[in-house]
Amino acid sequence: MLEVTGLKKAFGKLTVVDDVSTTVAGGEAMGIMGPNGAGKSTFFDLLAGATRADAGTVRLAGQDISTLPTEARVEQGLARAFQIPKPFASLSVREHLELAAVAGAGLGSNEARLEAETVMDRTGLADLANETGNGLRLLDRKRLELAKALATRPRVILLDEISGGLTEHEVHELIALVLDLKTPDLAILWIEHIAHALKEACDKIMMLHLGAKIIEDTPDAVTSDSRVRELYLGAANHA
Amino acid sequence: MIWIETLINGLLLGGLYALFGLGLSLIFGVMKIANIAHGEMAIGGAFLAIATANFIGLPLVLTVPIILLMAWGFGFALQMAVINRVLGSDPMPPLLMTFGLSIVVQNLLVEMFGADNRSLDIGALGTASIQIGNTSLGVFPLLMFAIALALFGALHWSLHHTRWGRNLRATSDDPEIVGMMGIDRRRVFAMVMGLSAALAALSGMMLAMRGSITPFSGGERLLIAFEVIVIGGLGSIWGSLIGGLVLGIVHVIGLRLDPASGPLYGHLLLLVILLAKPEGLAGKARSR
Repeated sequence: MLEVTGLKKAFGKLTVVDDVSTTVAGGEAMGIMGPNGAGKSTFFDLLAGATRADAGTVRLAGQDISTLPTEARVEQGLARAFQIPKPFASLSVREHLELAAVAGAGLGSNEARLEAETVMDRTGLADLANETGNGLRLLDRKRLELAKALATRPRVILLDEISGGLTEHEVHELIALVLDLKTPDLAILWIEHIAHALKEACDKIMMLHLGAKIIEDTPDAVTSDSRVRELYLGAANHA
Repeated sequence: MIWIETLINGLLLGGLYALFGLGLSLIFGVMKIANIAHGEMAIGGAFLAIATANFIGLPLVLTVPIILLMAWGFGFALQMAVINRVLGSDPMPPLLMTFGLSIVVQNLLVEMFGADNRSLDIGALGTASIQIGNTSLGVFPLLMFAIALALFGALHWSLHHTRWGRNLRATSDDPEIVGMMGIDRRRVFAMVMGLSAALAALSGMMLAMRGSITPFSGGERLLIAFEVIVIGGLGSIWGSLIGGLVLGIVHVIGLRLDPASGPLYGHLLLLVILLAKPEGLAGKARSR
């Protein structure tokens, strides 16, 4: 569903994303790990069109979207949920989702209303339909962030550290939600620091370090890889 | 009795002031920039109407909608072609841009129309009045007030019940994020600028129907529009209405007490509001 080839981005002399290529199929979930500054968020920025890549292509369902602006990529089926939820202060939950369904998925008003209901049911927001963005607690804001992305009817969804700041119990609720998203026509990319969350939800994990891809393999293979252990645990633990 | 009439006349004038403020407030609310050329947009619209009605001889009922459409198109094109390019985290470029535009428009108007006083003739409607008890009220000021109220109501309704309004509120809350929902914020900005320009042109035409204008009237209108939205509360459409009405009343009462005072009492009111309630009469205190 998503095909990335030779993606590159440098800010001045600092290369932040260094020749990253990967593919994620529909129904597949790929976790992305890496220490701070590994270029994970910039990688997402490049995919979403928030930042223009220096080189490389991004293909969505075979179509090259590398040169499209953000909103056109959303229409093509690329959605993103942010680490820090950014609900619109004055819109209700329902309005958020109707807006996303109309603008992002191109639905008519009635279809959009139904889509909003469906997404609210799926993400456990049905009871909060009329609550405004400002009145939500953190977990619900994260749910809304996910729901907003879903309401644009994506084929590729980018989850950017969506479990940050949640309690252990809430993280489990979120993992269940992500597992529930796995359908044959949706590819999931998930940046997360919490390794066990990725292990539980993802089919494979890509490890980035200083902008470059170190390894991309099954979660078990990645977590037992010596380079990964070194990056996360440091050389001292080798003794 | 004279005071009731004064109060009512102030209210009616306030409706026009509120319209001046509304266009400016929309721009500020959605794009967080000040459009220095707002007054010139109003006066420019009025002069175009004068040219169309007086020189070409089109009746006013046709002239007004044509000018409104032209103003909308001008605002939309201006935003798409110019202002969208200078919008960013720095408020200075759009400020300078619109300041420059205001000077250009003003000089164009002087070049084309000269510096004379001009007005839009509305015939008998201008002097018609109705008698309620001992109070005599002008039909035209009442009509302007009704139009202003209807526009505020219509705008409020569409902000909360239409797709366009929802997009606009979302863009106003967070222009960065709407892109991630599939909305092109530059188009939303352009629609708002179009609407603001049309509102400006409408209030400019009303001003020229009510009295007379010169190419230099824009600055004074901009000042009134600013006072309206600061007194009422920045970025809120009902704030503009309240601000406009209060400023209208203060101006009319001020002129009644002291005919030579001009807009002095309005400025004093602005100072008092800035000292006592800087978020404006209808504004909420903001933490950020």
